[in-house]
Amino acid sequence: MSLVTSLIMRQMRAPFIILILGYSISVLGMVLTPGVDDQGNVWHMSFFDAIYFVSFTATTIGFGEIPYALTNAQRTWALITIYLTVVAWFYSLGKIISLVQDPTFREALKKNHYQRQLERIPESFILICGFGETGHALAKALTERNIHTAVIESNSRLIETLPLEDFPLVIPGITGDARDPEQLILAGLQDRKCAAVIAVTASDEANLKIAVTSKLLHPEICVVCRSEIEEYESNMISFGTDFVVNPFDTFANIFAMAMHSPSLHLLYDWLTGVPNTDLSNPVYIKEGHWIICGYGRFGEGLYKQLLKTNIQVTIIDPSEEKREAFLNHPENKNNDFIIGTGFDAHTLTVAGVTRAVGLVSGTDNDSNNLSIIMTAREINPELFIIARHNKKSNEKLFEATHANIIMQPSEIIARKIRTLLVSPLMIAFLNKARNQDPTWANITISRIMGALGDSVPSIWTLHVNEKDARALCSVLRLGRVIRVGNLLQDAHQREQQVKAIPLMLKRNQKLLLMPTDDIAIKSGDQLLFCGTPSAHRSMKWCLNDLHRLNYIMTFEDTPDAYIWRKLHQYLKRNERRNRPRQKRHIMK
Amino acid sequence: MNREKVVFSFFMILALTLNYGFYTGEVDNPSHHNVYELFAVVVVNMIATVLKFGDRSQMGAMLLATSLVALVQLFSASLIWAYVVSIQGNPMTPETMSTIVSLSGGAMIANVISVILLIIETSMMRH
Repeated sequence: MSLVTSLIMRQMRAPFIILILGYSISVLGMVLTPGVDDQGNVWHMSFFDAIYFVSFTATTIGFGEIPYALTNAQRTWALITIYLTVVAWFYSLGKIISLVQDPTFREALKKNHYQRQLERIPESFILICGFGETGHALAKALTERNIHTAVIESNSRLIETLPLEDFPLVIPGITGDARDPEQLILAGLQDRKCAAVIAVTASDEANLKIAVTSKLLHPEICVVCRSEIEEYESNMISFGTDFVVNPFDTFANIFAMAMHSPSLHLLYDWLTGVPNTDLSNPVYIKEGHWIICGYGRFGEGLYKQLLKTNIQVTIIDPSEEKREAFLNHPENKNNDFIIGTGFDAHTLTVAGVTRAVGLVSGTDNDSNNLSIIMTAREINPELFIIARHNKKSNEKLFEATHANIIMQPSEIIARKIRTLLVSPLMIAFLNKARNQDPTWANITISRIMGALGDSVPSIWTLHVNEKDARALCSVLRLGRVIRVGNLLQDAHQREQQVKAIPLMLKRNQKLLLMPTDDIAIKSGDQLLFCGTPSAHRSMKWCLNDLHRLNYIMTFEDTPDAYIWRKLHQYLKRNERRNRPRQKRHIMK
Repeated sequence: MNREKVVFSFFMILALTLNYGFYTGEVDNPSHHNVYELFAVVVVNMIATVLKFGDRSQMGAMLLATSLVALVQLFSASLIWAYVVSIQGNPMTPETMSTIVSLSGGAMIANVISVILLIIETSMMRH
């Protein structure tokens, strides 16, 4: 018996006993009290009559005095019955209502509901700690890729809105402080279906605590942490946190990629984006004079990337200390540091906004950022603008500024973590792609565009093993040769190709970019594909269904059921028998 | 002393004694079996069952099960009585009476098991 049911039952004991006593006393009294029938004889109600009478009286339905009109003695007892049973009902109903409203009961009910939802998840799930902007974006992205998630969040309001939102999968949510190990366990940390824990609360300290707890209590699972402060980051890595994601570093890296090779950046954007959204356009970052407003973690990260390309930069920040530290550093000698906020025209003009090509509005205050963008645009409408967007609620405002790049920390983290969890090979692919020359990225982009059209492709990894590709493995064991090109044949029409492109082949720790169609597949290979969802389905079907695979390899659609199989064999035999005869005929 | 246990034991043993009182006598003789006694057995047994609601211990669950069995038997006996006498309007026959009494005999066995379980529980508490 679950805790909730036993709690209800225990609380219901008193009301039930009161009801039983009230009813039985009333019934007994009705039976014992003498009445008179229609002929004037003394008559007693049977138990059946009495139970009927008391039942409609107690529920205030009141059918009247049946079967015969009551005597005064019976009416007296009926009065007692009315007050006894109606009061018993009031008491019981009051008790039930107060039980339903009881906070402990409601909490128990919610926990029960959460646990049942977790049990209903068929495969594995990912536990997200913190359902702020990042957690929300992540939950959306993961469920869109058919990955189950569960959420623990200390703000009960955010959990209550969960069922109202339109996620593709049901996301179980529980209110609780994820820093408390008990609550994490309750949220499903030690569940064998729990595949990963993502700590994306607003505080680095809480994320650290969650990471430690998860690694200690369930060492096999993957732990991903958000961190914005370097000390915490190194601390998290020290005890084996699998991935630590820093939004500012991540963005600085993406920015460097965009600066170095716009086509590579575009490839990154496409392959890590949300499937079925429109493909983005390339971003060309101009070289020339740049202004960075706000020299915090974000501004500094971008500055370091700009420094590598010898672009001249002017920094605007109100902090004197930062200016001292900046100017004392020898590598900054070519660049300027102006004390100010950046949202007034004077400071911007001094910083050279009229001749600048780019501006970064990177303070941690959205109103300031917006104001900087508006002022700068007024002076120099040609500026390339990178805006830091802190609060989700200001999304519409930032969209209205038409900034060239909008950096939203929660989006950046969600995208990075999603890529880490959904397709770990993708990270390896992108790292390897970074070392290729720009023309390689251009060719890849045009291949993807040509084959898949203009929406963001799905990404999937094919593991050549018993679990993911049963039929393929059994065919490989027989010694048949299957090439990459065979995988791309349509399950319905062998001559046609599905809309998918193999991006990378991983074999024995070796990575091969863009494998060609003639490479033979070996057991244990891992292949990274991008393509349409229907191509993914077709491929999955072929690789797990022997008949489909056979069809692809041989043109033959062999039947599955016993009778059809026998018939098929019979027809084939006949065909073979007929063939030599014809030959003989020709010879004559 | 555990008051909850004392109250439960009282109702459980009362259910058994009343049940025995109803059960004794010639099995098919209606004058040996009092309808008020059957009513009392049903009520007391219902109370004993409700008293075990929400008990998460193994013994509590067992006791709930045995008293539920007794209740099922007693309810069927009462329903037969009500069906024959009140719904069909026939007088009580020896055949009907023996059915009712044998059903209540089954309930008594369940109640005996309950009391045995109670005794076991109490003796285990001593150790």
